[in-house]
Amino acid sequence: MSLDRSFFVPLESPLHRLNPLTKLTFAFAMIIPAFLSVPRLAPALVIPIFIAVFAGKVQKQYLNLSLKLILPAILFMFVMQSVFLPIGETVIFQLGRFDVTQEAMQTAFLTISRIFVMVSSFAILLLTTHPGELMSDLTRRGLPPQFAYVINSTLQILPQMQAKAQTILSAQRSRGLDTESTFLKRVGAVVPLVGPLVFGSLVEVEERAIAIEARGFTSTRPKTFLRDVPDTRTDKIIRWLLLVFVILSLGGRIWLS
Amino acid sequence: MNITISNLHFTYPNGVQALHGISLTIQAGEQVGIVGQNGAGKTTLVRHLNGLLQPTAGEVKIGDWDTRKYSVAKLASRVGYVFQNADDQLFSRDVQTEVAFGPKNLGYPKEQVEALVSEALTLTELSEKRETNPYDLSPTWRKMVAIASVIAMNTPIIIFDEPTTGQDAANIARIANVIRVLRERRKTVITITHDIDFCAENFERVIAMAQGRILLDGNANEVLGQEDILATTYVDPPQLTRLGKRLGFEQTVRTEEEFLAALSQRTLG
Amino acid sequence: MAIVTLENVTYKYPLTETPALQNINLQVEEGEFVAVIGPNGAGKSTLCYTLAGFVPHFFKGELTGRVEVAGMESSESALHEWVLNVGLAFQNPFNQISGAKYTVFEEIAFGLENIGVPREEMKVRVEEAMKLTGISDLADRSPYSLSGGQQQRVALTSILVMQPKVLVLDEPTSQLDPIGTREVFGVIRTMTERGMTVVMAEHKVEWIANFADRVIALYEGQILLDGTPRKVLTSDLLKEKGFGISRYTSVARKAKTLGLWTREQLPITLEEAAEGFALTPHPSPEGRGES
Repeated sequence: MSLDRSFFVPLESPLHRLNPLTKLTFAFAMIIPAFLSVPRLAPALVIPIFIAVFAGKVQKQYLNLSLKLILPAILFMFVMQSVFLPIGETVIFQLGRFDVTQEAMQTAFLTISRIFVMVSSFAILLLTTHPGELMSDLTRRGLPPQFAYVINSTLQILPQMQAKAQTILSAQRSRGLDTESTFLKRVGAVVPLVGPLVFGSLVEVEERAIAIEARGFTSTRPKTFLRDVPDTRTDKIIRWLLLVFVILSLGGRIWLS
Repeated sequence: MNITISNLHFTYPNGVQALHGISLTIQAGEQVGIVGQNGAGKTTLVRHLNGLLQPTAGEVKIGDWDTRKYSVAKLASRVGYVFQNADDQLFSRDVQTEVAFGPKNLGYPKEQVEALVSEALTLTELSEKRETNPYDLSPTWRKMVAIASVIAMNTPIIIFDEPTTGQDAANIARIANVIRVLRERRKTVITITHDIDFCAENFERVIAMAQGRILLDGNANEVLGQEDILATTYVDPPQLTRLGKRLGFEQTVRTEEEFLAALSQRTLG
Repeated sequence: MAIVTLENVTYKYPLTETPALQNINLQVEEGEFVAVIGPNGAGKSTLCYTLAGFVPHFFKGELTGRVEVAGMESSESALHEWVLNVGLAFQNPFNQISGAKYTVFEEIAFGLENIGVPREEMKVRVEEAMKLTGISDLADRSPYSLSGGQQQRVALTSILVMQPKVLVLDEPTSQLDPIGTREVFGVIRTMTERGMTVVMAEHKVEWIANFADRVIALYEGQILLDGTPRKVLTSDLLKEKGFGISRYTSVARKAKTLGLWTREQLPITLEEAAEGFALTPHPSPEGRGES
């Protein structure tokens, strides 16, 4: 089962066994306090996040993701904010005509902590949850089936569309389309490459609509589910605990201010 | 312009070796049909001819051009390639603009482009439809637009990749006619096809491939008569060849004319 | 008992002037295997969509006349009811993969999920359907990793699992290689042998000649011929209108004019052709007289 467009890592772990909603709740239970509670909490949430990463046995993939995606982005953001935020008086050092102040760096640090928490907690969800199960569980809880269909089919069909784009590229190159020399020529290559992709996709979409219609997609009967996505007592307890944590963190903020 | 392939090996980036030491020569003006099961390497082989793929080892020469030294766009002046799915090429607002795309890319002057386009449209019976949007045409005519687009490039060598898939008898006849005219113009025509009857009736040389190697290469009658070898690459002999064998004909027949001739001979003694 | 009845059916797609189907009158008995032949544009797909309810419910347009299939009337039943009784599969295997599911097993169960079949029953039906069509070994594969022939068999299984009363197939092997074609025809044969009513649009005349109960020739939206394979496929009318016919028929027709085919009836299969041509007189080694 190759899912090279999703992040899912097929493994056995306590996190993998949890219900998707629980992991989604975890994500929000990290994000809401990170953004709305006391500033000191945000960076501290890194701890439960790392615990979750190890509990899900996805440390390798998480590291990979962090190094390639997350860390470069937040590092960039940290530098940008530290240098360009016009706040604070305690100048640490100067960069050209910009003052890098302690207050700016603190704000920057808070911002990147929040972003880091947000991205990481969703990453944990995606790394430990099969997209089909996630969609299936959410649909059972009330998400419109059309929405789930869009997510699932996009994940699977995108690689196919890439392959099709490659074929179109080959076909047009074979007609002398120059995609290698001047920039202007490459700009002119856009229409012959995008045109067939778009038109071809329209045809495909209509046929696929017929196909899923033929499989009762618009049936008015209540849907059933092949896969059983278990929701255990443990799941429910964890979700309640997470809710309590969120309330406490928000309460703490109000109480402290 | 000859095509010379010397000891061609090709391995895809994912490590799969698709061609194992292919060597062959195709003379100018030959009509060649390539058959064999999916995965035999037919498309892989043919994509080396216009540079879409480069050899992992070995050499491919189109005339005096080594394909490793020329871009696909340049090789397109010598090798035209009609892809299997017409919809993978069509994007213009009308048929004549679409057909002009190839020759324009090749740098022909305006008058010559117009002449080439008109000629290609006549050959593919599209003259009356020249101002129609290709996507307003049925799949049958879209296929002809794709073919016209490549013919208009006036290349000495033309490759057809599965030209008859999904086509009805009338369109297959049109395509066969196009190939006949190309033969008269002494173009080299190379076709990959699963339609063995179409292959038998239009191509004098047949190459059968399996697992990245050439199983058989020679005169169509000879190749198509070798049922057992063809069966290993899931190719059934043409209908008339099978019938001829059943009736005990000495020679292998592949067209109606040959069949009737062999039948008369037998009848008349 | 006619399971399909079309009476004076004429249909125009939206924004078109020429009807795609004109005055179609046809009945199909339960268990019949009907092949529909005709040039591209003759109306084969439209006829298939009409039988499956997509004309007019999906495509809109103007439909006149009576369409009754498996007890449902076109004017009364909605599309989501039609699909319970009539299964539809078409040319392009890739576009029939829903994209909603990650394994073949789930893909096949997709239809059953949509119509609310209980989980245990679903599993049983999917396993049985896969056994029937011979794809049990593909159960855990991703539908997108399969060959065209395999995908088409998955599509067929996904439809058959819904237990339709009529199976409508629009050129199911047109885009497949010979192996895929063989696999798909194998599945269709299995279904017809089990008594499924099948209506199939096809170009591959040789196979039809061997297995169809009946052939309908469609031309410019009208039924040109309707009868046994033998009667339809050897008709001169087909030749006139440029239909594709098997080489056996075509060469025998030519041979007849040369006195080299002596039977009255033209052949439609290899067997018939071989038998017929074996009768063509040829002199024995001894007697080479005056004739």
